[in-house]
Amino acid sequence: MRVMRREVQSVIAPADIRPKGAGCSDAALAARESPAVLEVRDLEVAYHVYGVQPTRALRNVSFRVKPGEILGMVGESGAGKTTLARAIMRVIPLPGRIERGEIFFMGANLSAMSDTDLGKLRGRDLAMIVANPRGELNPLLRIGPQIATVAEVHLGVSRKRGLEMALEMLRAVAIPDAERRLRAYPHELSGGMAQRIVIAMALICGPRFVISDDATSGLDVTVQAQVLDLLRKLVREQKTSMLYITRDIGVAANFCDRIEIIYNGEIVEDAPTEVFFSSPAHPYSNLLFAAFSHDGELRQKWTGSASSPDSDAVKAPCAYSDRCLKRQKRCFVEHPGLREIAAGRLVRCHFPVER
Amino acid sequence: MAVVRYIAGRLVFLIPQIIGIVLVSFLLIKAVPGDPATLMLGPMATPHTIAELRAQLGLDKPLPVQFLIYVDKLAHGNLGTSWQTTQPVLDDLRTRFPATLELVTYGLLLALAIGIPLGVASALGKRGPLAKLGGFYGLVAGALPDFWLALILIYIFYSLLGWVASPIGRIDVTVTPPHMITGFYTLDSILTGNWAALRSSVHHLILPVLTLGLVNAGPILKMTQATMERMLEADFSLYGRLCGLPEKLVIRRAFRNALPSVITIVSVLYGFLIGGAVLIEIVFSWGGAGQYAVQGVLNSDFNPVLGFVIFSALFSLVVYLIVDLVYLAIDPRIRH
Repeated sequence: MRVMRREVQSVIAPADIRPKGAGCSDAALAARESPAVLEVRDLEVAYHVYGVQPTRALRNVSFRVKPGEILGMVGESGAGKTTLARAIMRVIPLPGRIERGEIFFMGANLSAMSDTDLGKLRGRDLAMIVANPRGELNPLLRIGPQIATVAEVHLGVSRKRGLEMALEMLRAVAIPDAERRLRAYPHELSGGMAQRIVIAMALICGPRFVISDDATSGLDVTVQAQVLDLLRKLVREQKTSMLYITRDIGVAANFCDRIEIIYNGEIVEDAPTEVFFSSPAHPYSNLLFAAFSHDGELRQKWTGSASSPDSDAVKAPCAYSDRCLKRQKRCFVEHPGLREIAAGRLVRCHFPVER
Repeated sequence: MAVVRYIAGRLVFLIPQIIGIVLVSFLLIKAVPGDPATLMLGPMATPHTIAELRAQLGLDKPLPVQFLIYVDKLAHGNLGTSWQTTQPVLDDLRTRFPATLELVTYGLLLALAIGIPLGVASALGKRGPLAKLGGFYGLVAGALPDFWLALILIYIFYSLLGWVASPIGRIDVTVTPPHMITGFYTLDSILTGNWAALRSSVHHLILPVLTLGLVNAGPILKMTQATMERMLEADFSLYGRLCGLPEKLVIRRAFRNALPSVITIVSVLYGFLIGGAVLIEIVFSWGGAGQYAVQGVLNSDFNPVLGFVIFSALFSLVVYLIVDLVYLAIDPRIRH
């Protein structure tokens, strides 16, 4: 690990990740005004299908991740979590399209960057860990060369050095019998092991920012705990920031520094982890919270279904109004904005829950 | 060692497979109406002479006995005699089978050279002109009859332009064929340094090979394109891009994963074309195995047909064995 870290530091110079030519001054400006590693501003992504109204998967999504911070992005299936991760990496599957918004990474505007420059960032400073680890690995290649290629491409090291680094990474992600595993093929690994290989691949270049897209949800609970510990350790050691996308609010509680709740493509709440879990403000946050709770009364209170709304009154409703237990007339006619209800606490609700 | 054992196991299974194939084709051929004795003796034959010949040929015996006699001869390497060529079938096939094999091999190589690049290109540029060409080509190659294309090519390149040799046979009648080593005229003439024969046989190969190549590039193209598209969208390709691997490397790895499907279609085509190229053989008077077998069927000449079936079956089984070994070499998942 020590040798690897030195190499990583030597290759990451600030000038390296800035796009050449136009946009550079913008990026420099943004870097000065924000210490965030990643900043997403007003991002809007839609899926266009011919003859149908485009599906807006993300609407006005803005957030920042500070250096060393682990931000948890929590939401249900279809909320736009994966679209968000892919929009940041700029690999949205067709027919998806970024409609609006900017993404700044260490001061550089990713949205304005050429594919080649972005390709140099991906996997090196900006890494992503994904679920379905066995599908993510090329079935015909041995583990060692597969991990080593990433280092070879980004750091320009030799195959021999790449394999050494891969071996160090395998040890770092606590794979037993690492030398032998270097020569293994993906199908010879268990799911948990393959997940660690994917993590090793993502972290081998010592990235500044890691996106984990539901990466541990498919694992056994015990393996998941191991992998999370490992991830936290590696993130702390390498001073990496992280966007941890998950459906599991319980995991997020233990793992993340800050929580954002995403619902129907919108961020509906943003708060530091302790504050969030002591008093979730958005009704939807309360539902998620209650669903994981052992408190029967709390569950009873939040997990019921709402009666159907008076359809004639609906104009520009809050996206959650059709499910909300706390809704009032105003929720059907006025879309709430994201507003600050206390220092560092943002909620998108007309009637935030108080305790 | 495991590989040797695997091959040995497969070869042992060849014997029952061959016996099964011989039995089925024997019964099918006997089910076809037509009496070789009548055909051999002509319209003036008396019933007595016909009966005599039938007895001589063993045709008067019950079917199971006939089959056992055939199998017994087969076990001694005797495929019987063709009454049309009056030669042992084994000798006939020894020259004719390589003729077909040479034609089909070069045709398939050409088909690969056309189909794979076009298929990969269409998979890469999903909406580009090459993809459209690929789609159009796949359609046309599937719809054009090969003999028709052969006639068109003969008209253009022989009749109009005169660029190639006359479409009759494998070599000019004035040129002595090379001494037989492999049975491929091109290879044999290179091996024996017979350049006149090489020139002439290449000239005769151009049009039939072009026909086979153009027609069979269609399925290869389609298979390459479909598999390649799937592999390029596979999770490991996406993750390669997410790890910032250069697109060229991602494409190369996707192609490597698409290769088994391409090999499968090639092996199927190879076995199929041994008999399937018969129309081309007829158009070019190639004198290959397919043509030999068809004449056998038309004239109730059983032995050549059965001999052809056995040869093709053996060839197909060997091709499939080789293909399985190739899979074994390129896909680690199968090794278990």
